[in-house]
Amino acid sequence: MSIETALRPEHNRTIDPITLTVLWKNLISIAEEMGTALRRTAFSEAVREGDDFSAAVFDRFGRMIAQGNFTPGHLGSMPFAVQNMLAYIPAVQLQPGDTLVTNDAALGAGHFPDFFFMQPVFDDAKELIGYVVNTAHHIDVGGVVPGSQGVQGTKDAFAEGIRILPVKLIRKGAFDEDMLRIIMGNVRLPEKLRGDLRAQANANNVGVTRLRALFAQYGREAMDDVMNAILDHSEARARELLRRIPNGTYSFDDKFDDYGPGTEPIHVCVDMTFEDGKLTVDYSRSSDQVPAGLNCYLNYSRAYALFGMRIFAGIDVPQNSGVMRAIEVKARPGSFFNAQYPAAGGGRAGCQVRIFDTINGAMSKVLPGRAMGAFSHWSNPNFGGVHPETGKRWIMYDLIIGGYGGRVDTDGPEAFCPVFNCANIPVEVHETINPTRIHRLELITDSGGPGQFRGGCGMRKDIEVLLDDTTLTLLSDRHKNAPYGLFGGKEGALGQTLLIRDGKAIELGSKEVCTLRRGDVLSFRLAGAGGYGDPSERDPDRVREDVRQGYVSAAAAAATYGVRVT
Amino acid sequence: MLQLAFDIGGTFTDLVLMDTATGDLDIWKVPTTPKAPDQAVATALAERIAAKELAPQKISAVMHATTVATNAILERKGSRTALITTEGFRDVLLIGRQKRYDTYTLHIVKPKPLVERADVFEVAERTAFDGSILRPLDEASVKTAIEAVKKGGYESVAVVLLHAYANPAHEQRIKALIRATLPDMQISLSSFISPKYREYERTSTTVANAYVKPLVHSYLGALDTALKKLGTNAGLSIMQSNGGLVSPALARSYAVRIVESGPAAGVLMCSEVGREEGYEDVLTFDMGGTTAKLGAIDGGKAAITPTFEVDTVNYARGSGLPLNITAIELLEIGAGGGSLARVEAGLVAIGPQSAGAVPGPACYGRGGTQATITDANLVLGYLDPDYFNGGAMGLDLDAAKKAVDSTIGQQLGLTVDEAAWGIHSVANANMERAMRIVSLERGRDPRKYAMVAFGGAGPLHASRLARALHIPRVIVPRAAGVGSAIGLLVADHKVDAMVTRILRLAAEAAPTVAAIFSELETRAKDQTASLNSKGDASIKRSAWMRHVGQGYEIRVDLPDGQIDAAYIAAMQEAFLAAYQREYGYTDPDAAIEVTDWYVAATITASRRKIAARVESSGARRPAKERAAYFPELGGKVSCQVIDRYAIKSGEVITGPALIEEREATTVVLPGDTASVSAAGHLVIEIGRPQ
Repeated sequence: MSIETALRPEHNRTIDPITLTVLWKNLISIAEEMGTALRRTAFSEAVREGDDFSAAVFDRFGRMIAQGNFTPGHLGSMPFAVQNMLAYIPAVQLQPGDTLVTNDAALGAGHFPDFFFMQPVFDDAKELIGYVVNTAHHIDVGGVVPGSQGVQGTKDAFAEGIRILPVKLIRKGAFDEDMLRIIMGNVRLPEKLRGDLRAQANANNVGVTRLRALFAQYGREAMDDVMNAILDHSEARARELLRRIPNGTYSFDDKFDDYGPGTEPIHVCVDMTFEDGKLTVDYSRSSDQVPAGLNCYLNYSRAYALFGMRIFAGIDVPQNSGVMRAIEVKARPGSFFNAQYPAAGGGRAGCQVRIFDTINGAMSKVLPGRAMGAFSHWSNPNFGGVHPETGKRWIMYDLIIGGYGGRVDTDGPEAFCPVFNCANIPVEVHETINPTRIHRLELITDSGGPGQFRGGCGMRKDIEVLLDDTTLTLLSDRHKNAPYGLFGGKEGALGQTLLIRDGKAIELGSKEVCTLRRGDVLSFRLAGAGGYGDPSERDPDRVREDVRQGYVSAAAAAATYGVRVT
Repeated sequence: MLQLAFDIGGTFTDLVLMDTATGDLDIWKVPTTPKAPDQAVATALAERIAAKELAPQKISAVMHATTVATNAILERKGSRTALITTEGFRDVLLIGRQKRYDTYTLHIVKPKPLVERADVFEVAERTAFDGSILRPLDEASVKTAIEAVKKGGYESVAVVLLHAYANPAHEQRIKALIRATLPDMQISLSSFISPKYREYERTSTTVANAYVKPLVHSYLGALDTALKKLGTNAGLSIMQSNGGLVSPALARSYAVRIVESGPAAGVLMCSEVGREEGYEDVLTFDMGGTTAKLGAIDGGKAAITPTFEVDTVNYARGSGLPLNITAIELLEIGAGGGSLARVEAGLVAIGPQSAGAVPGPACYGRGGTQATITDANLVLGYLDPDYFNGGAMGLDLDAAKKAVDSTIGQQLGLTVDEAAWGIHSVANANMERAMRIVSLERGRDPRKYAMVAFGGAGPLHASRLARALHIPRVIVPRAAGVGSAIGLLVADHKVDAMVTRILRLAAEAAPTVAAIFSELETRAKDQTASLNSKGDASIKRSAWMRHVGQGYEIRVDLPDGQIDAAYIAAMQEAFLAAYQREYGYTDPDAAIEVTDWYVAATITASRRKIAARVESSGARRPAKERAAYFPELGGKVSCQVIDRYAIKSGEVITGPALIEEREATTVVLPGDTASVSAAGHLVIEIGRPQ
């Protein structure tokens, strides 16, 4: 049966809502169980601390039926990655126990560290019943800088490490050792990568066992019906929710500081057109792709548009291919949000918050109650080098996260993960495993954007490097262009990254790459988040409380809010 | 002699008096007196002593579980607490781990810490991860902090310095300096309360300890006085969240360890029930009014986790305050009798919101209109409208039907029965997911386990849940309504000690490992000296281990014996076996490290014999019939209704059947059989699904 026939099943049996609910929950729990297994066995900090992975169940036509939602960054990419892999290696060439793998930026999730593992699932009669898929962010895949996320100096994808077009990395349950050797020969921490590839294979095995059991229990026909119903149901629900937003085109423009020292800003522009339950998100007016490791491939741009609609349209059905039928995401080919190979995209994680900020700005025009001031922009630095005594390579991956913008009825929460969803890495863990020392981790007084509801403060983190020849890759923003406020709320304070060397502070660009010496201290100072509403409307008691707790100084309380605190 | 056990819950205090000679139990409930929980106990006991003409001096032991510490945290009614910490890190508590507990929501708030930013005072000092001192303690800065504490009117102080788990010297010096100025101040040091790495979790734990310590102190004092006044002669013991009993002195020092004491005792009851029925491996299923709690017992021992989270939002992980306390492993989900059903996106959704006690389910007739699980169970015929809680409360069947119809039926085009079945089965699906996590995802094969089901709604849903997971046997214990109090009677005295030392496992590490365990064993033995229990403590070692570079550790139980190179090899093997069990594969080439080391010292309770029959108020009820819904039989069919306490030994009841007792109804499915065991428990054999 072709996909087209399956998409319009002749046997249009209806599924009762109870069976649908129960089996849908089962399919989602398969994806979640795969993801949990992956998280707990992973070596990559991005996976285990940052939840930068995803797992999903697909039907035999390669349509995504259920996704375990870990990071929004993989919301939209997986269905495309699966179709792209099947275009290289069609289903007829697959055997039980095979696994297809790719990390290509354009075919997959927009940068090489994300490896997709796709395993076909067969029933006892050797009939294909579906696929289980997972993707995980690996800590290093080679290239010019440790961590494979360099912006400055990474002019194209050839500087970003190993690129694997779809291959059968696992045949009948066993890794292809020759292929593995090629991969291991191209990365900085091969043991860690090997452990994570095994963890990914294991996660899929968990999914295979459960999907087979579910098919055995309910039968192929019932499962087909349920899967069709899930997709139809999801699409209908997404359209119903989108229809509640008044028709029209809502636009907003924001920008990135630059794509490395001495470069121009990148314009981030979105036009969102709602038309009777269909949404088109168009990033075409944005800047062209840039010769630096920051570009967004369309699969990545799509993920955060879908996330934005979960927030603003309140899309509450679990993610699958049906939801995606209602939302089209486009961008001019060759533009920043639809970069073309060999555009470099290693550092595209630096873009997600800005994509959301821009969608938030557009939606503030029609849904002011759900919009918020712009986020404090996070920082995602990678430190790396070689231990002089052991000769071993080390990479310290860090996540520095500030506050939320003010909202219609509350201040922005302090120090909370925006958009993507990561835990920070404890100071005591960093110092135990990395040659660094952390001197300070605290909120920055007076950095939050003033407003009737104040934006959260920026975060300061001071990290001392204990080894010479440490490579530092910076990935941050909002050093030149502050997080905006809404409806009279003021913008947050600008961010800064300072290198303190021999007692002198040197200002660095937000996406610079540089070499550090022992004793250098990097002081990360994130921007404050934007305010919401006119500061003169702020309840003076809130201002006094802010001063008492040290979020706002007495001087700023007087100057900004006109409230004297003694 | 008599032993008294009581569990102080939010609404009721359950009491049990056991005659140690006969095993007879006297069980009763009284309303909790939240402002002074000792009062309800004292009054109830005094009345009992008078009514039954008991000799109070015959009460030889008193064991209890309490929500005092939990409620103080939930209601933010603990003591005014200050935090002293390392300069540059005042915001550790406020920053937390920064992750949203719901990825797809941005309009959420963070857990509110127990101390505010203005309650945090910094001191200049620095210790490194290996315990070396990078910057000596600046005592002038300590004096300034103490001055601020004095001025601020604080009742309790937490001291948490970076890497204090590796070297407590600076924290101890600060304690001495506080003592010199403020001799009556309650002080909690992180190096004493929770010597584990990860500064946020350690700070959260130490602050919580400081926050509840003065309260626990005065509560235990009042209780002790009240019991002595009644003329009892008993040593008082308190249940900790890890299921071990401790003395009041230890509970005062480690106040935070008693946070989850009631539910822990419930799991111990299941363990005892399993033991009596000959099952060492048990899954526990406690479904009450607002939540379901699921746990596991392996080899007769309740599974323990190294952390616990208090004050969560909708039971979501990461939404509450983390505590580094060993706790009996329980997964809690928002599925209880009062959980509200609704239609969401064309599907049936349930909880975590609950109708609570007011208005309660629609069938309570207190104004509730949205259907709950209890309403569905009433519509399905599983509950008797005239015999809920032993007939103490009538249920309004029409109100339940109306609620189920308007909440679900009309919206999805289902009959009332179908809609009620939808609520019932979706609730089961939610619990199935939770039970999968507790069993399969943690390496437990449900086919090898028995399920002990208790709580008001547990026995009603248990058999379906068992079927879905292929659990062959369900046990509904006698006196299930006061499960936690019974658990206290069988609890052991137990203390534990834990420390973080990250160490790669290799033969040459043997002396280090020996030193770590020797230190922990000394600490644990020092604590056992203050327990109200005679006998030798048995020491069990375990360690949290992982492959080098991973972020999640698994607990590995370790053997006793001398620690040498062979012992290290045994540790490695034990880890790989545990890893295989947990994840289904191993990587023998990858290096292994230990992060946390753990020792538990247990003084085993002399096994008390509990009588098979418990006193049950209310007369035996004659067998009758009622229409109940079984989709495998085509819908509502006439079904036998049996009084649990009228079942004779040896009698086998074939499903479908409803077995009623005062606090609960057990549903026996078609194809299953039920009987009462010699120990007095109801045992259901789960047949093959039809």
